[in-house]
Amino acid sequence: MAINKRASRTTLADRLSRQIESLQGGFRKLSKAATLKDLAAQFAGVVQGMFPAADIDLVYRPDKSVQWQKIIDSGAGDVEKFLALPSGQASSACSVDEISKRICMVQRLVDKSLIGMVVARRRPMTKNSDVDVVSLRLFIHLFDNAYQELLYRRNEKELIFLLNHRVLQLNSLIDTGIEVSRLDQDASPQQLALERAAALTNASKGVLRVTSGGHLKEEIYFPDGLLLQHTVSKTNRIASSFTFAENTYTFELFEKESRSGILPFENTDQLLLDALARQVHASLENRYLHEQALEKQKFEQDMAVAAAIQKRILPTSLPVIKGYDVAGINIPSKSVGGDYYDCIPLRDGRYALVIADVAGKGVPAALLVSSLHAYLSAYLESTIPLAQLAQRLNKVIFRASTDDKFITAFVALLSPETGEIELLNAGHNPAYLLRNDGNVQEFRAAGLPLGMLDMDFPLKSERVTIGKGERLLLYTDGITEASDERDEFYDVHSPLREFFIHHKPDRAEVFIADLISDIKRFTGSAAQSDDITAFYLQRTS
Amino acid sequence: MEQQFTLTSEMRDNRLIISTSGYVNNLGGEAIAKEFSRHFSSGTKEVIINLAQSKVVNSIGMSFLIEIIEQLQEVNGKLVFTNVDPAVEKMLTIMGLFRFAGKERTVEDALKSFSQRK
Repeated sequence: MAINKRASRTTLADRLSRQIESLQGGFRKLSKAATLKDLAAQFAGVVQGMFPAADIDLVYRPDKSVQWQKIIDSGAGDVEKFLALPSGQASSACSVDEISKRICMVQRLVDKSLIGMVVARRRPMTKNSDVDVVSLRLFIHLFDNAYQELLYRRNEKELIFLLNHRVLQLNSLIDTGIEVSRLDQDASPQQLALERAAALTNASKGVLRVTSGGHLKEEIYFPDGLLLQHTVSKTNRIASSFTFAENTYTFELFEKESRSGILPFENTDQLLLDALARQVHASLENRYLHEQALEKQKFEQDMAVAAAIQKRILPTSLPVIKGYDVAGINIPSKSVGGDYYDCIPLRDGRYALVIADVAGKGVPAALLVSSLHAYLSAYLESTIPLAQLAQRLNKVIFRASTDDKFITAFVALLSPETGEIELLNAGHNPAYLLRNDGNVQEFRAAGLPLGMLDMDFPLKSERVTIGKGERLLLYTDGITEASDERDEFYDVHSPLREFFIHHKPDRAEVFIADLISDIKRFTGSAAQSDDITAFYLQRTS
Repeated sequence: MEQQFTLTSEMRDNRLIISTSGYVNNLGGEAIAKEFSRHFSSGTKEVIINLAQSKVVNSIGMSFLIEIIEQLQEVNGKLVFTNVDPAVEKMLTIMGLFRFAGKERTVEDALKSFSQRK
């Protein structure tokens, strides 16, 4: 008997030893499982190794409120009815049914879920021993440990994923800021920001609305083609808006996604959306300022070109006319108009006195003045009558100009010896001739400006004679309409005609200088809005 | 602008090629995972996901892609992404997907890389 008992103890020790080894190996295997199903399958395999002639079923219950879910079904039968839940604070429950040869165990797992196991002997004559029950208890504890390991790894994975996602959000916020602020990109910064905001907050959809004065101006949907009104609940949304250039931009995101359904948006999501909206706001402002700077730069370049053209055309010095004193001036405004004057000696001894003003400013006006200068120089050599010359000029200027461009001009042909002047006013300001008796003779427009209409309208020249001591003044509207800070015109307060009558210096250039001083005194600090041009001639002998 | 999600798939040289179009979010990720599972259960171990028409991916969509990578790793398989938009590439890199998945310029390049792998 003693030998038998010793043998029995040896056998038991061997079995326990084998089972401990099996447990250790089993744990290593189980701890690699990636899912509950995987863990259960591995576990069933380990138990099967110890109970080769048994059916092993495993069931799982996330909490008491739901039914058992079968995860391993190897034919132990309708197992749920055999399983008793652990009572009170107990972590496990075990029952052995000697009739059906079933060992049933339920283990409360670390997250309060339950795992149930039923081991059913296939051979009814096989008896379940205490060792079997102890072994299975150990095994189901092993499952609990492996389940903890699985949860730990899952949590760790989720934590790493969450941390990576936060890094991604920060990184993307920086990248998006750089991308939306790029001035050379084709895509709108609003669209890019909407896409990024949706992706970073896991919103399923989004929309950007641009409104002005309560009217919808533009809508951008993400994803494109979305029928928002049919798909989105108004409650699960976040929004951020700003106003720029009288437009209100409102970003809206809807339905925060998760693997288990729609979640409420978090504070972080709102912060992200606000930050992206601010980036778009800054980008729009920067684009606007950049465009303004480019426009200013282009305007300045145009003005430099126009000024260069005008400078090339305007006389650097005037010819000396025996018995006469002449002076002229052109002060271009900042925006460079199309004023022009000249005193051109002709081959027959006469002099052409010209003053003109193109409607418009900048390069187009300067180019038209350049055309006028070229055609005028050519036609003056042909000695055709002044009225005919003006008609020819009208035609070529009409062809050379756009619809809104024309030239007002005053042309006078002076025969110096006789003092005879043939003059013609094509839509220009009246020229003044101050007689020795103090009277002023005005030469008003006798025809339309040059280039206004493509027709041979009558242009009539007239002839006068300038006597010794008499003076002629030609000017553009940059003088009469020079305005002060209150936008009032020079000619209204200090009529040019009166200045001309009462101001009679010995030298022509002194008259011009004094006239400019008088205008500057009137305009004060107001900016010069148009070119100032004048030409003065006085007969000295 | 990104469209609603759609996908197409084909088998070439026993490799699954999934081409997506639109936002890879929960819906998109689920559709990719479903298409993958259909072929994975019948033994496909080499998969190409062509993202040429997908310029926006969110983290839920990425979680599905990670699961596909994990499942393929267990059977010594491999996933390769192709035609990845630079912004999406950066996202997938930060989320660690390229530590276990490949990246090629085109589908043809990916197929070639699989051939060289063997």
